Amino acid sequence: MALPVLICDDSLLARKQVRKSLPESFDADILTAGNGVEALAILRSQEIGLVFLDLTMPELDGIGVLEAIKQDGLDCFVIVISADIQPEMQKRVTELGALAFVHKPVNPEKLVVILKQYGLI
Amino acid sequence: MSTVFSEEQRDCLQELINVAMGLASDKLARFLNTFVHLQVPAIELVNSAQIPAQFEARYSNTEAALVSQGFLGNDGLRGEAIVLYQLDNAHRIAALLGYDTDSASELEMLTDISSILTTTFLNGLADQIDNSLSYSAPRVLSSRQNNVSEALQETAFHWELALKVDISYQLVDHSFNCDMLLLIPGEAVLNIQKILERILEEY
Amino acid sequence: MSEDWLTGPVLEQLNSGVLVVDEQLQLVYLNSFLQRHSSVQLSDVKGKSLFQVFTDVPEAWLRRKFASVLELQSPSFSSWEQRQYIIKLPHLRPVTSSSQYMAQNCTMLPLKDPAGRRYVCLLIEDATDAFVYQQHLQTTLQKLELSNRIDGLTQALNRRYWEEQLKLEVQRAQRYQQPLSLLLFDLDKFKQLNDQYGHLGGDCVLIELTARVRVLLRDTDWFGRYGGEEFGIVLTNTALAGALEVAERVCLAVNSTAVTFHDQSIATSVSIGVAQLDAVGDRAHEVLIGQADIALYNAKRDGRNRVVVFSAGETEFLLKAN
Repeated sequence: MALPVLICDDSLLARKQVRKSLPESFDADILTAGNGVEALAILRSQEIGLVFLDLTMPELDGIGVLEAIKQDGLDCFVIVISADIQPEMQKRVTELGALAFVHKPVNPEKLVVILKQYGLI
Repeated sequence: MSTVFSEEQRDCLQELINVAMGLASDKLARFLNTFVHLQVPAIELVNSAQIPAQFEARYSNTEAALVSQGFLGNDGLRGEAIVLYQLDNAHRIAALLGYDTDSASELEMLTDISSILTTTFLNGLADQIDNSLSYSAPRVLSSRQNNVSEALQETAFHWELALKVDISYQLVDHSFNCDMLLLIPGEAVLNIQKILERILEEY
Repeated sequence: MSEDWLTGPVLEQLNSGVLVVDEQLQLVYLNSFLQRHSSVQLSDVKGKSLFQVFTDVPEAWLRRKFASVLELQSPSFSSWEQRQYIIKLPHLRPVTSSSQYMAQNCTMLPLKDPAGRRYVCLLIEDATDAFVYQQHLQTTLQKLELSNRIDGLTQALNRRYWEEQLKLEVQRAQRYQQPLSLLLFDLDKFKQLNDQYGHLGGDCVLIELTARVRVLLRDTDWFGRYGGEEFGIVLTNTALAGALEVAERVCLAVNSTAVTFHDQSIATSVSIGVAQLDAVGDRAHEVLIGQADIALYNAKRDGRNRVVVFSAGETEFLLKAN
């Protein structure tokens, strides 16, 4: 059965880049959101297994989404995909429950390693 | 902006710039041994003629520095990066960079700071589009004595389009704000559009 | 890659210095330009610390520059205008240039070898020509500035510059509460003199007069040509009594000896008005000129070749006369 996946990024290019970086063997139903508010609306209304989450976004940023997921006890894995790649930021999102942290621009090979690591493919 | 770049192109450019800022901030953070709060740089494509007026208000009452550095890459990518910032801001970042004002002249400090900001950022941009840039030595167009908008007027005159990137570096206990202007001549704008189109086709 | 053979010879013949150091700032490479200019052989210095070989480079400064290049992997620059040179080298204009060392524009570039090891390349461009031009330009500007202040004929200060100095001295005297006096004087019957001896004769008298007056003054006094045959002297830190003394000497110096022009003796004299600063405010210097001018007018009216001191009350006379 396909895994319901949400790609959340304010940039259309970034959403496309993530989608294209996913291996063909990855069976997913992909939804997209352009900011944190949209993402939370989707997460609260339907079952999502995995979220690819950008950090710097208008309306509600990635940190806000992570906090809301934690607070609401939403059941999903989050892989943060961010341009802010400082170690401090990585530590912060991991503390907020993110599964992994991927640098922008996304490197497909690294993404595959992470997906394999968590048995998602 | 939409008159020159399509919405998709604009989005693409913004994303490239966000990532470039991220790369630059990471390097700066490691170099300065501090954390840099990254803010999404607002980009705007403006007619060069409008620039002096846009900056006059912000920099007219303070002592500001204006430093220019040319850049040149493959695929007809070229232009001039102009960094504007307030001098009292500069002294804070100079202290972080380990300058004591006795040993280094102020001009040298100004060119070093803006060169670091410009080249780390533009290198991050070039990396993403499989390009590489070479740079001219930075040149101070105006510091405390001169009028910022006059200096801008003289420079902006020769360029058709300017990509205005509002950059704000917020360090843990210092804030450093600057404006970066990428002044790009007409045919280079077309070349940038080609590069953006190529990226968009890939995805 | 078939052009690989080019790189070596070009690097060796380049008219710029190329120096490469590793992360420990130990020398890896110097091209011929640098080896020749610094009288150093690459084979002797390879692997040595840059600072051991070039002992007079600004070490702390250069370390900081190189650290930023290595850490940020982005170039750094140094211009001769801010730092004339990094490595002291002789230049190729030993005869025609006054500067002792090569002025340098330097670029520091990050490099990586195929194994990923990091290096810094220091490019040194000879900017001595630009440096020399800049020095010429500055000398010329200084001359120009001087000629902007000087009256071409008499070599006294010109009116514009003299008035500027008067204004500044008046402000200074007011601030420090020091006395200041002004002499205004006219060459008597200058029109007749010109008619009789020609303009060259007139000019000759003006030149001679200026020379005679100049030797009577201190370095701190300002002597200017105010108009055609009218001159002014600002006497700093001088009260009326002292000013009167100077004025009498000027009067005597001009009148005691005739001026010789083409074997003719031209007897001349001056009339002098003296005033001491007593006005306050922004326009004090104008008031002072007006007062000295009134005294000068009185000196002429009283029969010329004399000194008259301004005294209050004469203004009223003048007002009535008008």
